[in-house]
Amino acid sequence: MGGYWGYYEPRRPKEVEDGIKAKSRRGAIGEKWWSKRWVALLESFNMGARLGRGRSYARKGQVISIEVQKGLVRSKVQGVRSKPYEIEIRFALIADDDWEKAIEAMGSKAIFAAKLLSGEMPKDIEDAFSDAGCSLFPGKKDIKTDCSCPDWSNPCKHIAAVYYIMAEKFDDDPFLIFKLLGRTKEEIIEALRERRASTLPAEEVEAADDAPPDLDECPLEERLDHFWEFGDELQLVAPRPRPPEVSCAVLKRLGDAPFSIDKSNLASNLPRAYEVAGQAARKMAAKNGALDFA
Amino acid sequence: MLKDEMAAIFGMNPPGVKTIICSLPSTKKGPLPSPWLIKEDSADEVLSGLSPWQIEALAFDPRAAFVMLLDLPVHPPPGIVFASSLRFWIAAARFSLELIAREQFAPAIRDGAARWTPIIDEDDQTRVKSLAKSLPPSCLALEEEGPSRKRSKEKGGPSPLQLVESFIDLTTDAFVRWSLITEKTKLEPDLGGRPPKAKPLPRQFLRALAGEDPALKAPLKEVTAFSEKIQRWLSQLKPPSPRAPFRTCFRLDAPTGPAEASDGVWQVRIFLQSKDDKSLLVPAEEVWKARSNTAIFLKRKINNPQEHLLAELGAASRISPEIERCLQDACPAALELQTHEAYRFLRESAPLLEQNGFGVLLPSWWEKRGSRLGLKLKLIDPEDETEIDPQISRGLFGLKSIVKFDWELALGDSTLTEVELRDLIHLKVPLIQVRGEWVELPPEEIETAIGFFEKKRREGTDAICLEEAIRLGLGAEMAIENDLPVLKVEAEGRIRDMLSRLSGKGEIEAVDVPASFMGTLRPYQTKGLSWLSYLHRLRFGACLADDMGLGKTVELIAFLLHQRAIEDLRRPSLLICPMSVVGNWQRELDRFAPSLHVMIHHGADRLSDSEFGQEAERNDLVITTYATAQRDEESLSMIRWQNVVLDEAQNIKNPAAKQTKTVKRIKADQRIALTGTPVENRLSELWSIMDFLNPGYLGPAKRFHETFALPIERYRDQERAERLRRMTQPFILRRLKTDPSIIRDLPDKVETKVYYHLTSEQATLYGAVVEDMLEKIESSAGIERRGLILAALTKLKQICNHPALFLQDGSPLDGRSGKLTRLEEMLEEVLASEDKALIFTQFAGMGAMLKHHLQEKLGCEALFLHGKTPKKQRDAMVQRFQSGQDGPPFFILSLKAGGFGLNLTAASRVFHFDRWWNPAVENQATDRAFRIGQHKNVFVNKFVCMGTLEDRIDRMIEDKKELAEAVIGTGEGWLTELSTEDLRNVLTLRCDAVED
Repeated sequence: MGGYWGYYEPRRPKEVEDGIKAKSRRGAIGEKWWSKRWVALLESFNMGARLGRGRSYARKGQVISIEVQKGLVRSKVQGVRSKPYEIEIRFALIADDDWEKAIEAMGSKAIFAAKLLSGEMPKDIEDAFSDAGCSLFPGKKDIKTDCSCPDWSNPCKHIAAVYYIMAEKFDDDPFLIFKLLGRTKEEIIEALRERRASTLPAEEVEAADDAPPDLDECPLEERLDHFWEFGDELQLVAPRPRPPEVSCAVLKRLGDAPFSIDKSNLASNLPRAYEVAGQAARKMAAKNGALDFA
Repeated sequence: MLKDEMAAIFGMNPPGVKTIICSLPSTKKGPLPSPWLIKEDSADEVLSGLSPWQIEALAFDPRAAFVMLLDLPVHPPPGIVFASSLRFWIAAARFSLELIAREQFAPAIRDGAARWTPIIDEDDQTRVKSLAKSLPPSCLALEEEGPSRKRSKEKGGPSPLQLVESFIDLTTDAFVRWSLITEKTKLEPDLGGRPPKAKPLPRQFLRALAGEDPALKAPLKEVTAFSEKIQRWLSQLKPPSPRAPFRTCFRLDAPTGPAEASDGVWQVRIFLQSKDDKSLLVPAEEVWKARSNTAIFLKRKINNPQEHLLAELGAASRISPEIERCLQDACPAALELQTHEAYRFLRESAPLLEQNGFGVLLPSWWEKRGSRLGLKLKLIDPEDETEIDPQISRGLFGLKSIVKFDWELALGDSTLTEVELRDLIHLKVPLIQVRGEWVELPPEEIETAIGFFEKKRREGTDAICLEEAIRLGLGAEMAIENDLPVLKVEAEGRIRDMLSRLSGKGEIEAVDVPASFMGTLRPYQTKGLSWLSYLHRLRFGACLADDMGLGKTVELIAFLLHQRAIEDLRRPSLLICPMSVVGNWQRELDRFAPSLHVMIHHGADRLSDSEFGQEAERNDLVITTYATAQRDEESLSMIRWQNVVLDEAQNIKNPAAKQTKTVKRIKADQRIALTGTPVENRLSELWSIMDFLNPGYLGPAKRFHETFALPIERYRDQERAERLRRMTQPFILRRLKTDPSIIRDLPDKVETKVYYHLTSEQATLYGAVVEDMLEKIESSAGIERRGLILAALTKLKQICNHPALFLQDGSPLDGRSGKLTRLEEMLEEVLASEDKALIFTQFAGMGAMLKHHLQEKLGCEALFLHGKTPKKQRDAMVQRFQSGQDGPPFFILSLKAGGFGLNLTAASRVFHFDRWWNPAVENQATDRAFRIGQHKNVFVNKFVCMGTLEDRIDRMIEDKKELAEAVIGTGEGWLTELSTEDLRNVLTLRCDAVED
């Protein structure tokens, strides 16, 4: 095998101008836990070196197009041949009544919809699906992949590249996973709303225009009479250096960063900076203004 | 040169000089000078628009600029003016500093480099806009460098908002980075083994944030991808849906159950809150009922209300574990919390949610927290007087006398017993309910309070010194014993009366003007006398700070007489003043208190040691100068003075100066300071004067600087300013000439003579001219004699004004004329109280000299109008002078040119630098200010040099006013008719004329 691939390998795939490139340049692709679950699925196929090649295909932008439909991903990937390969990944759809059960389960807790709508996949959402007797993340047998390349192995590196690109898409939009399983975002939201809504009639809609007022600026030439003076609004600024209400508030609001260093999250290395700089600023503000008392 | 000056003035070293191009308002000839620079008069300045100019500038890197702006003194040193744009950037720098102090910054990536970026939340955003709106247009004058140096007609260059934002951006990065470098802070975790060949970006990022080099070293594409992810991470700080008319709002309700039960259930309720009217709340329950894509709540439309609410709740759950928990419900509308959870929510989640743009409504007791555990003191009127202080029996307290007090432990408005307190210690949560009111009470405070109870049981008596009691009674936030703050002070009997009088609430009983006072006091002056006497009875130091011209001198003279009249004690008082006012004191004492024995301690032949002591004891008042006091400390300390009075007390404004230290060491029963400058605005000066009056009352200088001067002067802390005002107000009496009650007491025109001495240089010249003339007229008669006399008179007047005016040699002016020195001092007070002044002289040469000298000494513009000023220019000057606070504060006029026709009512101070010896002419000049349109009282000052012809003629006019009018007519010709003997009498220098 080594000899055959040894001959084949140096051939570089044809470059793609506007390919879809993975944003991740190093390490794993897919930063959110659900995307990682997705990638883990791919990695469970024991693809060997193809996995790495697929990843570098994804990074180089060999994936030309990707199209997600219910239960189906269609994609074109540029390989060594002049014509791109056609790839299809088919998913076993969740049956309608199972969907209903899953949505029922999701509707029982606002956190599912709340997290999904704020761009996150709720942690225990898998439970909602398994309670309904189905699975949020397809297993090996739920997926059928097909690629027009001559590689006898399935999944091949082209399929792997598509997987990786999909992982990044999931990062941004967790609802895509549902689409693969047979329901669009709109359908799920609609269904959830139906569940929540009481029998009260909805009120009529009235359009209201809101035009944000704009701050107009007049050119310097027209401001000569107050050219040197500052405006009265300056006194509204009233700076008052003081300690924060909550220390490291910005970090607490941000939560974990999408990066880690060794095993610690990037954000967990930052509190010291807030402590040092905040302290320095407060010291600066309280400093004996030597010049004042000179 | 610019660089050297900067270094010399501020001890700073900017990195380099650069030539820049600025668009400035210009005339055809050149750029207009900026308005705070003193310009030479030129009438034909016609603004032709903006033109680009090359300008030499100092270039700072962001950090150096930031530190420089923060380090600049609040008050520029004399001769230096801070431009509005500089003051603007100082404010902007302090805003940046505030953001960093509040830890409002985050790591970001810009242009492939790691940068600290300020995080500007909603409230701060409006402040940034205020900054942008108030940006002086001159800050936009800098032209982009490049081949085309013409300013495009379209919008070119940054907008004010962009400029302000980029300033805050750059300074934040510079300061945070610099502080990390200085502290040698390493952000990235240690590497386990050997370093990998290529450093992964996250690690590089941390290093670049804390090091000199911000650049990330990786291929552009990788950096871009990394940067996008970081950017997405940071975008979580933005409010979840900025455009929607509603936002999610959380309201915390305290348990409404029975009082005393601190284990009730708290509730966080969820609402949609209208952004334009924050009082409009839609309960989440209502939102869950909506079925369509769009709903109308409270007449406001909202799309997908449920999803809107859910998405925001999802975002909120990331910050607040409480919210995350409540999302376990299908339709969350409220969340129940235990007290300890409620405390966490109040302390941590609520501020974070608020910063992230959510609405948060908290109970009012939390919002106006501050009900702390503390003491309520009750000061006891000393009944058994002998026990306390022998002085009290005479109604004299003195700041150091001891007062007993009762005390109670208080929390907010309620009092706590020790038993109740001991119950509280078992609480695990620092939120407790006392008599139905919730309060936050950290366990440390409970411990401190229990410690206080125990200590008191051991020790028994409770007493503090009166000084402390007053400080506390007037609202100083201070702790006694074990850091337990005093929340409230009550007093009874005489101490209560005293506190209420001191705080200005109680009326101070009026004192009769002593019979030995040869004159009348205006009603407010009698009040001043009563006030001085009251503070004297308590042995408190007093600062009389009335506006210049209101008569501090006579108030003090009346006070000295009053003291003599009511007390059997007869020890001398010491008055320390600048040389320039010694004569004035002498004259005023002569006139109003001839019964007082006054001794001047000054000059080369002054007494010393025991001779001085004996002589001083024979007098009532010893007058000396600051300079002499510093030299003769030993002699002065031989006497225990009744009073030490400082006139022009701003002379001790520098606490570190030797002169200040000496003066403060002189012992006296009573200390009094007189000043006409608004002391309350110059805090280091205020501290120093208070430290003289009531040593220790305001605490050590360093602490005062930290707790008051810095927050008030640099950061305009209103609360502290108010507290300081309350604390110092009892010891400072400052009436303004614009106070309605004062105006009622004053005539519209207040005339004051300003007496001064000649310098020895002036005296020598003066003597020589007189001798020369007397010799010459001996052998002449008729027109020749008259001519000689008139010429000599002119020379003498010139000498009194300034030797340089007589010598016409263009020599330097400083310190050579007693009159000029006094004028400078008085004009400084005019400036300090934001007044304007007219200065009349009959010598055009003097006017020109005054203009340049005053501009240089006082750092502000002086206009000068003389006979040769063209009409157009003259009109322009008058208009500028009259144009409100921005116009020049001083207007020098030659008596002939400015004597009539002009309307200069912007001035309320008039100085006659030299005399015309004709009241009619002088009055006409005075009337430039005192005429229709003048709403303020006008204060007229006429300079009189003691012992010279000025003095003699002034007395002649005063003595026989009517006669004088007849004799003098309209000129000075009458003097030429005097006999030589009379002339000798009038002109010869008397011994008291000279400074030293």
